Amino acid sequence: MTLIKKHIPLAICFIVGLLTLSTYYIPTKASENYIEVMNKWENIMAGFAFLLGLFSLFFSHYNKMKRKVDGWGYSLFVFVGFFAMVIPSVLSHGRQMVGPDLTGLGWGYRFLFNALSGTMFSVLAFYIVSTAYRAFRIKSAQAGVLFVAALIVIVGKVPLGQMIWETVLGWTHVGVTDIVQWLMDVPVVAGKRGILMGLAIGGIVTALKIVFGIERQYMGKD
Amino acid sequence: MKNFIEKLLKIDRRVIFLALTLLLVFPIVRPLGLPNKNIGNEVKALYEKIEGLPPGSFIMMSLDYDPATRPELHPQAVAVIRHAMRKNLRVMILTLNAGATGLIDEIGERMPKDIAPGKVYGTDYVILPYQPNPVAVMTQIGMDMYKIYDKDRDGALLKDMPVMKGIRNVKDMQLGMCITGTAMLDYWVAYTADKFKFPFAGGTTAVSQMGYAPYLQTGQLKGLMGGMKGAADYETLIGVKEKGTSGIDALSLAHMMVLILIVAANIMMLWLKYL
Repeated sequence: MTLIKKHIPLAICFIVGLLTLSTYYIPTKASENYIEVMNKWENIMAGFAFLLGLFSLFFSHYNKMKRKVDGWGYSLFVFVGFFAMVIPSVLSHGRQMVGPDLTGLGWGYRFLFNALSGTMFSVLAFYIVSTAYRAFRIKSAQAGVLFVAALIVIVGKVPLGQMIWETVLGWTHVGVTDIVQWLMDVPVVAGKRGILMGLAIGGIVTALKIVFGIERQYMGKD
Repeated sequence: MKNFIEKLLKIDRRVIFLALTLLLVFPIVRPLGLPNKNIGNEVKALYEKIEGLPPGSFIMMSLDYDPATRPELHPQAVAVIRHAMRKNLRVMILTLNAGATGLIDEIGERMPKDIAPGKVYGTDYVILPYQPNPVAVMTQIGMDMYKIYDKDRDGALLKDMPVMKGIRNVKDMQLGMCITGTAMLDYWVAYTADKFKFPFAGGTTAVSQMGYAPYLQTGQLKGLMGGMKGAADYETLIGVKEKGTSGIDALSLAHMMVLILIVAANIMMLWLKYL
């Protein structure tokens, strides 16, 4: 049992990991063919992973409804939403338009998903404005620097802000867009580059740990 | 006075919501027409890159956004496609985000009507179907794209289309572009642009724009549009005012409201503390 559950998956991971890594550094026809095969497999696996996720989601929400846990009504909407989109999708063979006409799926996308998704995201604007008023307190030098940077970027990114800057500070002959550009080119790049390097090193280390079987959480607890 | 300030600081957030609603409705219904004078350098760079391409050049556009980020990103996509069509470039549109399919259909619907009247599907532009595995697409498109995209979204053979003449992988394309509110642009740069030396540009939400500054400085991105301002800038450059330009008025007022509220709240806090 250990062979099937532990050694074989580790061996597959090690061999495929090394082969895939080597294709990046040895760009031959053979490595190209190998990547093509792997890409097809990845697509097939992604399909199965999607199904697995779907069933897991359904079971989770079905159990919530069955046990009538708090907020179980929301779980009902998972099914309502899913079938409201999937049934028209199957009936219209996955097409959103036939010629100039919308299919059931197309109608659902344009007038349900589009509107609901946009509404959910736009609610964020209201919370940002409310939070800015209620929680953004400049109590330290760091908060002060953050506020000044945010102020300049906000003012410099919209026409009304640019007009106000020109009216109030035009005499300085320093354009707000120049300052925004400097912020973007120097402090932002410095910070972001540091984060990117850290992420990259972390990613490489994690990948190597998985390839060499040191990190085995993807195999589950057993 | 102290009590009044304390009440103001604890104001019901629904009052702020209402104020913002009123502030946004007005410019959306009747745009103020604020002049967009300062065009971002990254947007100019993208415009000049496309402007400099000879007719018949091939642009790959990965539109990886969904309705949530539509107000910021859809106008960017429309503006770039309009520009490319006007320059007689060939455009291939694809998506790696299932939520984008309907938005791309909208673009397809608008192409013969107002974006590119006179241009022919299959000859001047093509739309590919959604693919679920981004990394597989990004690596495969660098080698032989027909191994992963053999048909267009309507099921027609891609290789037979005139628009695909001479195109096998990204080495045959002159520019790639990803418009997204996710990390998909980073993936395109890492898996395709850098690896295959493919000139690439991006379009992102305003909140993500700053994060791409290192890519611009190193030349990994040839240009970048950030948020609605990026779309408005591009619309200004091509001389067609659309949703980006009309939305920037509402955005201006909302930004100013945020600033005023932060400053007001902090002045009130200082008043309570020291006076």
